[in-house]
Amino acid sequence: MIFKKKRPAKQKPAGKKPLVSRKEFLGIAGATGAAALVTQLITTGPLSPEAIKGIGERTHGAEDGKSKHKWSMAIDLSSCIGCQYCVWTCQATNDVPDDDMRWNIGFPEKTETGSDFFMTRPCLHCEEAPCVKVCPVGATWIRADGIVAMDYNRCIGCRYCEVACPYDVRRFNWKPSTAKNNYQPTWGSPEIERRARGVVEKCTFCNQRIDRGIEFGLTPGIDREATPACVNICPVNARVFGDLNDPESPISIFLAENDTFRLREDFGTEPKVHYVRPEKENA
Amino acid sequence: MLKLDISIPKEGRQRVWWIWIGVLGLLLAVGLFGAIRVLVKGLQVTGLSDQVPWGLWITQDLSSIATGAGAFTFSAIVYLFRIKKYRPIARAAVFVGFLGYSSAMLSLAMDIGRPDRFWHPLVFWNVHSVLWEITWCVILYSTVLILEFLPILFENSYFDRWPKLRVYGGMIHKAAPIFAGIGLGLSLLHQSSLGATYGVLSGRAIWYKPSLPVMFILSAVAGGISMTLLLTVLVSKLTGRQIITEELRSDISRLAGFALLAYLYLKLWDWAATSYYSHSPGATQALALLQTTTPYTRTFWWIEIVIGGILPALILFTDRFRKNDRYLLFALAAIVVGVTVNRWNVTLSGLVAPPHWSPGVLGRIISAPYLPTWNEIIVSLGIIAYALLTFSFGVRYLPIFPRKDEPSH
Ligand code: SF4
Ligand code: SF4
Repeated sequence: MIFKKKRPAKQKPAGKKPLVSRKEFLGIAGATGAAALVTQLITTGPLSPEAIKGIGERTHGAEDGKSKHKWSMAIDLSSCIGCQYCVWTCQATNDVPDDDMRWNIGFPEKTETGSDFFMTRPCLHCEEAPCVKVCPVGATWIRADGIVAMDYNRCIGCRYCEVACPYDVRRFNWKPSTAKNNYQPTWGSPEIERRARGVVEKCTFCNQRIDRGIEFGLTPGIDREATPACVNICPVNARVFGDLNDPESPISIFLAENDTFRLREDFGTEPKVHYVRPEKENA
Repeated sequence: MLKLDISIPKEGRQRVWWIWIGVLGLLLAVGLFGAIRVLVKGLQVTGLSDQVPWGLWITQDLSSIATGAGAFTFSAIVYLFRIKKYRPIARAAVFVGFLGYSSAMLSLAMDIGRPDRFWHPLVFWNVHSVLWEITWCVILYSTVLILEFLPILFENSYFDRWPKLRVYGGMIHKAAPIFAGIGLGLSLLHQSSLGATYGVLSGRAIWYKPSLPVMFILSAVAGGISMTLLLTVLVSKLTGRQIITEELRSDISRLAGFALLAYLYLKLWDWAATSYYSHSPGATQALALLQTTTPYTRTFWWIEIVIGGILPALILFTDRFRKNDRYLLFALAAIVVGVTVNRWNVTLSGLVAPPHWSPGVLGRIISAPYLPTWNEIIVSLGIIAYALLTFSFGVRYLPIFPRKDEPSH
């Protein structure tokens, strides 16, 4: 970049003033080039006021100014029956053919007292997300509405976010994703493009549904078209979704009525996915 | 005083040189093939996984930068603190530093999933990311290293045709203290930040501690000094000419020893404070897992502490041993190996012992094993070959080392 900027400046004075000494000429060329570069940097380049503002917005979570919503999910482990429908519908909807790449994983678990339960885990959309803090290019950021989003066109595939996420959420595209998706059409149809080789992907709370739904005046968490696929499909309503800022939303009501916890709060990540214990007290 | 005689006799030199260059050239070619295969097939040809996303190449990246730290150390000593006696080794340090940083960039280019977007950190900023800060520092510092190196390059007779270049070289040389200052600042920042890469991750108990950045920079200073001196002594022994005086050699070894001691002292307290005098469930669990499923507990104690720490410290601080060629070479190499193994252990230990986050007892702790594949290994060897090859040509054709007693080449 530096050299590109300098070259044209170098030739112009050389043509007009052939008598200038080499040293002077290089000095002029250098100064012109440097001045051009600095001007460029602070007017339209990465150091420009807009660019700097943009960085702050993206990394501080106010991408589109302010949002009056704060999306959140609850998973009731005591009513989950372990059918795995949420896992499969996620794979169909977000077009994840490879089982090793699941965004929403599920696996059999045991409580301390020995009873079986089924554990599922989407991305927890942490309010203090370590993955967002570490990304060197801001390819993952927290939106004003609380969703931790990914920009697949910006990600350089360094995988620092995978290292930073303590919940094993993120998946890297080690190879091109070309396999047929066997979960379609039974469990849903693809709503987003497949990701390219070399970038990291993860659960998005189906933000394509939320964003479109709001455009059409729907309420995510209540209207099915605007609600994450996994929440819709659950046959026992073990997953609840909605807006934390709205006291009447399904999630606010659910959190008020149930005793919930979040995964490893000691990490200081402030997850926005809440869980109900597999065995209710005195149950 | 035991002298090691490995100098190659004058008649055989040409042959040995070509064999050496041939072997390295071959390695480089094989590495190039490996690199192309990675670019074509993607990172699926590595042994990495979503549980262990960083491995051999990140280790190589961290170690190359650490062992390249001699450059800023000696530049600062010579040009900022004005301790002139170290001057004869400053050029070699800058050269070794440059090779370390360029190797690191090569291994990083291999490691990222989208090498075509390598420039993104320059344009898209996330000032909260240590990795972003490291990228900037490494790029800026590499520029400083290149500038510091140019005057040496211009001294080659090839550049006779552009006498002006030497003038500019001289100007750069006059600005050496400025570069040394900038270099010192940048190095302090990114060498420590490389430790912070791991140290800031609250989810991984073994990593999450403020001592990591400091341990990284101290070990880099020890490793960087050792690497520079090791190569200098080797070249001197192989060519049979004295490059630096016995006295200077002894002083530099002691310097490496002091850096090593500082590092060991911090390591001792780091261990004592986190594993001996206190108890944290996360770290204890992870360490237990490491002990039962990996060799890293053993490589920590034996290679990092005993072979790469205590032994070399003993050698470097005992007059008799330090002045013995064999012992000295062993000690310096052991420090470099110790620092490299440390980078591997730090990276892998945090990854193969992931945190337990499930509310159940089975957890989903997949302690994924990691072994580099042949493809990763040949690429790494190729990068090492690149560094050694460039070093060899540099030593042969550039005035990297002062040549007092060998007037003509
Ligand atoms: S769960 Fe992991 S990927 Fe999701 S926001 Fe938190 S740290 Fe990021
Ligand atoms: S892999 Fe992509 S999203 Fe993750 S930290 Fe690197 S650039 Fe950011």
